[in-house]
Amino acid sequence: MTTTALEKLKHIEKNTLGMALFLINEAVFFALLIIAFVNFRNSVKSGPNAAAALEPLTTALFTVALLSSSFTIRQADKNLERKNHARMLAWLVATIALGGIFLVGQGMEYRRLLTNDVTISRNIFGSTFFTLTGFHGLHVLVGLIMLATLAAFAFSGGLKGPKSSGMAAISLYWHFVDVVWVVIFGIIYVWTAGLIKF
Amino acid sequence: MTDIPLVPETTRPLPTLGSSEGLISWVASVDHKQIGIMYLISSFLFFVVGGFEALLMRTQLAQPNATFLSPEAYNQIFTMHGTTMIFLVVVPMLIGFTTYLVPLMIGARDMAFPRLNALSFWALVFGGLMLYYSFIGGGAPNAGWFSYAPLSERPYASTNGLDYWALGLLVVGVGTVAAGINTITTIWKLRAPGVTIRRLPLFVWMSLVNSFLIIGALPALNASLVMLLADRMLNAHFFAPAESGSAVLWQHFFWAFGHPEVYIMVLPAFGIISEVIPVFSRKPIFGYAFVAGSTVGIAFLSFAVWAHHMFAVGLGRPWDLIFGASSMLIAVPTGVKIFNWIATMWGGAIRFTTSMLFAASFLITFTIGGISGVTFAVVPVDWQVTDSYYVVAHMHYVLFGGTMFAVFAGAYYWFPKMTGRLLSETLGKWHFSLTFIGFNLTFFVQHFLGLMGMPRRVATYPDLPNWGLLNLTSTAGAFMLGVASLVFFWNVTASWRNGKEAGDNPWQAWTLEWATTSPPPIYNFDQVPPVKSRRPLWDLAHPENPDSRPRKPKVEQTDQ
Amino acid sequence: MFNPDSPQGLAISNLFVLTLLIAAGIFLLVAGLVVYASICYRRKPGQGEPYQNFGIPKLEVGWTVAPAVLLLGLFGVTFVGMGNADPAVEKDRAPDIIVTGYQWWWGVSYPQAGVISANEIHMPAGKRMLVRLIGGDVIHDLWIPRLGRKMDMVPGHPNEMYMQADTPGVYIGACAEYCGVQHSKMLIRAVVQTPTEYDAWLKTHSAPAPAHPDAAFALRGQQLFQQKTCISCHAINGTAANAQIGPNLTHVASRQTLAAGVLQNTPENMAAWIKNPQQIKPGSYMPNLRLTDDEIKALVAYMETLK
Ligand code: HEA
Ligand code: HEA
Ligand code: HEC
Ligand code: CUA
Ligand SMILES: [Cu+2]
Repeated sequence: MTTTALEKLKHIEKNTLGMALFLINEAVFFALLIIAFVNFRNSVKSGPNAAAALEPLTTALFTVALLSSSFTIRQADKNLERKNHARMLAWLVATIALGGIFLVGQGMEYRRLLTNDVTISRNIFGSTFFTLTGFHGLHVLVGLIMLATLAAFAFSGGLKGPKSSGMAAISLYWHFVDVVWVVIFGIIYVWTAGLIKF
Repeated sequence: MTDIPLVPETTRPLPTLGSSEGLISWVASVDHKQIGIMYLISSFLFFVVGGFEALLMRTQLAQPNATFLSPEAYNQIFTMHGTTMIFLVVVPMLIGFTTYLVPLMIGARDMAFPRLNALSFWALVFGGLMLYYSFIGGGAPNAGWFSYAPLSERPYASTNGLDYWALGLLVVGVGTVAAGINTITTIWKLRAPGVTIRRLPLFVWMSLVNSFLIIGALPALNASLVMLLADRMLNAHFFAPAESGSAVLWQHFFWAFGHPEVYIMVLPAFGIISEVIPVFSRKPIFGYAFVAGSTVGIAFLSFAVWAHHMFAVGLGRPWDLIFGASSMLIAVPTGVKIFNWIATMWGGAIRFTTSMLFAASFLITFTIGGISGVTFAVVPVDWQVTDSYYVVAHMHYVLFGGTMFAVFAGAYYWFPKMTGRLLSETLGKWHFSLTFIGFNLTFFVQHFLGLMGMPRRVATYPDLPNWGLLNLTSTAGAFMLGVASLVFFWNVTASWRNGKEAGDNPWQAWTLEWATTSPPPIYNFDQVPPVKSRRPLWDLAHPENPDSRPRKPKVEQTDQ
Repeated sequence: MFNPDSPQGLAISNLFVLTLLIAAGIFLLVAGLVVYASICYRRKPGQGEPYQNFGIPKLEVGWTVAPAVLLLGLFGVTFVGMGNADPAVEKDRAPDIIVTGYQWWWGVSYPQAGVISANEIHMPAGKRMLVRLIGGDVIHDLWIPRLGRKMDMVPGHPNEMYMQADTPGVYIGACAEYCGVQHSKMLIRAVVQTPTEYDAWLKTHSAPAPAHPDAAFALRGQQLFQQKTCISCHAINGTAANAQIGPNLTHVASRQTLAAGVLQNTPENMAAWIKNPQQIKPGSYMPNLRLTDDEIKALVAYMETLK
């Protein structure tokens, strides 16, 4: 670690530090769910597996939405620093909208799977898939609620900038949820469902 | 989103538990001292419950082919005993000490997130109650404290006991993680001027490392519990071999948590020992850097040894070898600590208060437990003794002979700070003697039982030569421990009411918590004394020979 | 485990004694130092503060390195010991014996001889047998202390190991992985015979049971066996009974114990077991079939013909 990074760590804001530590905890949590998925990727004996059940391209679409929301929240952050209240708010709302699109996409995917009788109890693919993506979806939902609270707070005149520990912590969380999805998408859709053949 | 405000500053002394206004102020409290004390009280209450369960088990096992308990009852009781002692006694007890002491030791006014702190505590209470509700709600969990699948799956455990088990532990687990986050943030952000990282009291160091272990390990448990619950409630198949699930995966997942957990249960205890031994030997800790550094070593290694609980599973030679080697390795940093503590006593002027008696015998009893741990790392030996009473002996030597001895040492040491009154030394010495004898009586013979072929978790055993006698000895020891505990609780209640006044610093100790009144006011310090070394109060008491003075080479430098 | 009767067991025993000696040495060192310090460095009346020693790095490095070196040695011995205690299984070798753990009894079969038995492992003295271990429902663990290592029987994860006993005799063991209500009543024994006796044993036990027992009373027992649902759980080779839920009873009368080591195998105990298994082994998967004493007598008579 360079000295500046160490300096930064020394002066890290309290809530941000708390959130960062919490995210270490979440990372381990997801790591186990992911390991379970990978471990069982070839164990399906009856019923569909990832390749048969999933439509990676459709999912790729709403993945783009989630990924761009990382960009939008970054913009919101920047505008907060510049004390540009209106723009900050707009970017915040955009983030919420993109997160919402992702969740709707995931909801549609779930509906399609469930109507095709791919459920958590159908086989080991269902068990690992729904648990992993379900917990991720839950995290997105929690993120959306936090973002919405933040936006409401900004609407009623709060969040003037240039700094907000709440904003910093929440955007850290949001980036984390994004990164986890990148890993999940890579493993489930790109690799096991065969979006790209290796 | 503004920062969470700290508790409003007042000069009122801590309210007592007696008055009704007092009770409410405890329940609604976000003060780290009150929460710390509540942690300690509730975990001692759970200790009585878990101990009572142990006495039931020992009564059943006193004789071969006994029928005092039905096998079903016995299985529920040993599961609840292990779960209680680990999740509701040892871990929260150590968190209690941490919550109470860390802010005081670093000269802070409270924890970084006082409300989160209260949440951690109440999560413990509710999780614990949920676990115990299972007794009324259709049968307690009965798959052991590590609930191996598929025995813990719905087809083999059809009552709701295991659901309560998983949900209760999930709630407790979330609270524990919150406590870990809180502790790290507190230590990182709220140190008083002069309290640098390299001047932290060792207890704080160990709590810091311990909290990192918590946030690295507890989520593994939480994730496993979630998957188990998915299996049990949503009919998923993670750990059901009949449906392509894996029984071995559960073991990997559980022990990836479970082994770090055993160090979570001992590091703060090491911290307590590292405070008590120097003060009663009237010397600084020998080799601060080694003691602190070895803790970090233990923490890293502890994530790399989990499969030593699985030597009998048949993972294959390479796994067994690697995990045998890493398990042996962990003896090295632990040994460093033991030798440094002995060296701290060496050349000192030791006062054998009850606290010091517990600390000194900790060195011996923990070493026995540690060494039997190393015999497991000699893999073929583990192939013989795993899942036998030899393992039961090991874990009680490290958990009781280690952690609980340290906890008692800490209790006698800090009780005056928490209450303003000293515990009775006369009763204390009775408590110590009974505990020491009873403990060794109970658990030493279990080594032999294990070697003679007695498996653990058996509700009863056949009448083979000497088995009855050794078990009877163990039972007698357990009841002695029961009496010892009664002496302790009597001491605590009596001394809390009318023990000797302690004064601010009864042991002439050196760390910051002794620089304020006993008990400390709500805001902790009128003024934090200047901190120029690891022992600020020594510097004040010995202006002619302060630690902050540069030292001759050869002797380790204190951080400037 | 201190009285091993197999090369594998001996290897472990020796390793353990060595480890124990090292352990005893370390314990005496630590305990000795603590006791010595406790006696010699007590505070003397009127004593001031002692010399404030902050540490001697050289010494500390010493007691970091010394245990590390010792452990390196111990690891070496462990490595060698593992090979002796659990010799690697040759590839493509078919198992001599298959032991399957079920909730609270053991299925034991000899695939090469076509024998199916329960709760007793027969072995020829001095011969290395390859044993395959299977978990039939939950995890169990085969542990016969005098014969060496224990090994788990994990569903979905079959294991293999060599077992050997050098002198004829009976070696008792138990299930060493907690497996539910009657885990404590899941005992097993290895019956070690001279190779000739063993071969004879295999021979008699590969024969099916007589289709019709000679004695009339036993014949009635056989009919009852078929009527009273016994047949839905138990197999008796050579008859219509072929269910796999309970132990195979083709040669039940020749076993030493009943219900996984819980009862001596006598006609009285057999009657008691059939009358009410739930009293003898509460929670066991054999129900109380509420038979009359007469029916039980006939069934026992039939069982006793199954040598
Ligand atoms: C406080 C908790 C605690 C601690 C600190 C330890 C410490 C250690 N434990 Fe233990 N362990 C448990 C709690 C703990 N354990 C529990 C609860 C179980 C049972 C779980 C269950 O199945 O229910 C268990 C089980 C367990 C097993 C599995 C046994 C089995 O089921 O088959 C193993 C195997 O390797 C093991 C190893 C070790 C080792 C190597 C250490 C080492 O850290 C010990 C290091 C310390 C020393 C060695 C002593 C001091 C050192 C010196 C004086 C230096 C010189 C020494 C040498 C050179 C040897 N432990
Ligand atoms: C810190 C942890 C801890 C502590 C302190 C203890 C304390 C004790 N333990 Fe425990 N034990 C475990 C952790 C702990 N145990 C674990 C993890 C397991 C494994 C569980 C599993 O296999 O899943 C286990 C398993 C275990 C077993 C093996 C069960 C089996 O495998 O079948 C036994 C058997 O003797 C035992 C005994 C005892 C005894 C006698 C005490 C004594 O030290 C207790 C002394 C305390 C008291 C006696 C309390 C005082 C109470 C009173 C004074 C009230 C008296 C009230 C009345 C009489 C009304 N324990
Ligand atoms: C529902 C299944 C079931 C039925 C019906 C049943 N048994 Fe059993 N039986 C078992 C099981 C399971 C065991 C193993 C019990 C144990 O050891 O825990 C067993 C064990 C036995 C044993 C002891 C075998 C040994 O090797 O130790 C005998 C003898 C026996 N049964 C006879 C009978 C007779 C006779 C009947 C009919 C009257 C009968 N069983 C009906 C399941 C059944
Ligand atoms: Cu089978 Cu324990
Ligand atoms: Cu371990």
